[in-house]
Amino acid sequence: MTDNFLEARSISKAYTGVQALDEVTLNIGRGAIHCLVGENGSGKSTLIKIIGGVVTPDGGEVIYNGTSYSHVRAIDAIREGVQIIYQDLSLFPNLSVAENISLNQMVEKQNKVMNWKEVRRIAADALSEIDEELDLNEVVENLSMAKKQVVAISRALTQNAQLIVMDEPTSALTREEVDHLFSVIHKLKEKGIATLFVSHKLNEVFEIAESVTVLRDGKKVGDYPASELDNDKLTYLMTGEKIEPEPYTYAPDTGTETPTLEARDLSREGEFKDISFKLYRGEILGITGLIGSGRTEVALSLFGLTNPDSGEILIEGSPVHVSTPRQATKYGISYLPEDRLTQGIFQHQSIGDNIVVTILRKFLDKFGLLQTSQKIASEKSWIERLSIKTPSRNAPASSLSGGNQQRVVIAKWLATQPKVFILDGPTIGIDVASKKTIHQTIRELAESGMAIIMISDEIDEVLKNCNRVLVMNKGQIAGEFETPSEVSEDEVFELVTKDTTNEVA
Amino acid sequence: MKDFLKGLFKHNETYLALIIIVFAGVLTLINPQFMSFRNIFSLLKNSSGTAILAVGFLLVILTGNIDVSFPAIAISAQYIATTTLIALDSNSLALAFAIAIGIGLLYGSINGFFVTKFKLPTLIVTLGTFNMFHGFLLEFVGTRSINIGQLPDAIKDFGDINLFTVAGSGSNPVGFSIFVGILIVVLLLTFFILRFTLLGRGIYAIGGDAEAARRAGFNVNRIQFFIYMYVGVLAGIMGMLHIALINYGNPNYIVDSELLRVIASVVLGGALITGGKGSLTGTMLGVLLIVTLEKNLVMIGLSSYWQEFFVGLIIVVGVTMTHVQAKLQSTQKVTIVRSH
Repeated sequence: MTDNFLEARSISKAYTGVQALDEVTLNIGRGAIHCLVGENGSGKSTLIKIIGGVVTPDGGEVIYNGTSYSHVRAIDAIREGVQIIYQDLSLFPNLSVAENISLNQMVEKQNKVMNWKEVRRIAADALSEIDEELDLNEVVENLSMAKKQVVAISRALTQNAQLIVMDEPTSALTREEVDHLFSVIHKLKEKGIATLFVSHKLNEVFEIAESVTVLRDGKKVGDYPASELDNDKLTYLMTGEKIEPEPYTYAPDTGTETPTLEARDLSREGEFKDISFKLYRGEILGITGLIGSGRTEVALSLFGLTNPDSGEILIEGSPVHVSTPRQATKYGISYLPEDRLTQGIFQHQSIGDNIVVTILRKFLDKFGLLQTSQKIASEKSWIERLSIKTPSRNAPASSLSGGNQQRVVIAKWLATQPKVFILDGPTIGIDVASKKTIHQTIRELAESGMAIIMISDEIDEVLKNCNRVLVMNKGQIAGEFETPSEVSEDEVFELVTKDTTNEVA
Repeated sequence: MKDFLKGLFKHNETYLALIIIVFAGVLTLINPQFMSFRNIFSLLKNSSGTAILAVGFLLVILTGNIDVSFPAIAISAQYIATTTLIALDSNSLALAFAIAIGIGLLYGSINGFFVTKFKLPTLIVTLGTFNMFHGFLLEFVGTRSINIGQLPDAIKDFGDINLFTVAGSGSNPVGFSIFVGILIVVLLLTFFILRFTLLGRGIYAIGGDAEAARRAGFNVNRIQFFIYMYVGVLAGIMGMLHIALINYGNPNYIVDSELLRVIASVVLGGALITGGKGSLTGTMLGVLLIVTLEKNLVMIGLSSYWQEFFVGLIIVVGVTMTHVQAKLQSTQKVTIVRSH
């Protein structure tokens, strides 16, 4: 008898010929904090679903608390204490905190009548177990993402959880909220509850994990104590190749050249103040800062989605008035939004249609009819240029992985041949290898003469990929770094969080 | 007290109640008789049927689905029950209700079957069954109207039953109809289901997130089946109230008027067309406002043709308002996040 809560032994699973998991073994100790990492398609989700009894494996066995199952049903997994918190959290937005926490237990007990006192008691108990305080009557849709997570975790506790699986829990959280989540995970550990943490974000993995299991292409690469890994090593394990970006160094001739884009004293009430910078062709300008620091707000103004109260925008030396995205596009400014899934892509339309949607006008003949052959040619060339992995340009965008969707959106904006390309969080939520391709693409674009602004809250990302970095804090530019590759992450982090630590809830 | 008032003004129902009060005030100014027991009781009696249908429709809307077939169920139940009574030369009100409710259950389960078994869009299913039910009625049961002479006495008498009477302005006492009593029973039962049973919470849960409801262990199919049956039963009851109210049956009644009136009432009552939100109080206030408006357009100097226009307008404006409100709330949330 080992001290493991869960042992998944040589689990295999194939979907229509594709081997999603191949003899994967995973052990999780009682109260352990275990990370599962791997690129998209490495089999992480399938493994989680098998542990939760949602998917039946083709081979292998799952042992909970020493009891072996060859065919786990979801209800068995729940009874054994496995709780999965999916990325969408599966909460009821229209119901109260109390009900969201307690309903599952009520349903499981097969109660017919609602005992509201009991509902509130269960919820209050669960919350106090992790020292959280929430208004039990508050409707869940009014809560922040972080608080919703607290509700989901509390709900898991009402089901006597022994292992809580969190699928990409940090993708929509701010830095402070992530810290808070980690403190909750540590409280769970104190109670002997194990956490299986699934994440793309390597820095978070190092922060929280005790041990790490790496998957690649459905096979287990290995189990490692977190202390033995570093960023490069883990990246290597995940991708099987070394990814070491050369720093991007480029120095525009500021003496003779006219900046492609210049902002002069841009201000917008409550968002940002006195923002001035110059951007030359060939540059990748990084902007980093916390959510609400003004980094995205400035971008929105440059793209005409909001209008600054005062200040000037100059394109190639001449002042322009940008008050709508249409005007911005006309001046050659393109913006790639942060939330690629909801803002940047038509999920149900084909990949090809998504790419050419911004330039459809170009394919009209003199009668105003669409010339399909040109359109198809353009679609194909972009798919090739950005190496979008798809069997067909006619497949719906929703069939693509996150990284490939991102590339479709990039292609869509590149098709307009912008002079200034603003990328807001271009690699949020995508895996290391896709990240690398996107960084490579951005670099090629800059080298071809485009002026690029890259907004990211990953300090490491802007330092390694930009030739110049602006740090924003509370709506103002708090610092500028001319040679980012020589700057330490801590130095930037200090500027990013200066005077804000007490304010951000 | 202040907090209580603040809480009060968060609710859509409060505004609706205020509008009704102001509107009633205006009508009373024009015609002082408006606020008489006679008029109020008659208004309540006249709107009971619509209100019962609205309760059923609210339940469907709460799950984020729709049922447009209920007027066809109501008229089928009414017409089949009454013609059966006439054919059997029976004078049993109980039999009439048993048949009407039976038809409601049968038709409701047909809706439930298609919706749960084949996971079809509920609008299309119930648009189809609406025509099926009504077409079946006209083809196989009859097209002729039932006049007061043919109507069994039991049904006529039922329409005249009062729970209690109060002294009116003239010499005639004013009665409080049993129709309103039936509505109150329906409301209490539905309130209990929605608030105090897991079935009721399941209805809200499905409207919030059907997939999450499934994961939480709710039997979503069973709940949906229940709702369509419940709507059927309520439609059956409404059918009988309707014929007893006007002492006249026509197989083309109810289907010609109730659908939009009920949708407008529920939407006006603040129910979210996408599901998860809506209350019985709001729905009842919605019915009250729509019926008062319809009955009194003439009194405020507008032709009765405006009625159709207003009902349509209310649906469009009502849906727009709840949508805009939801949007405003989400932008407010964003600003809050930013200002911290």
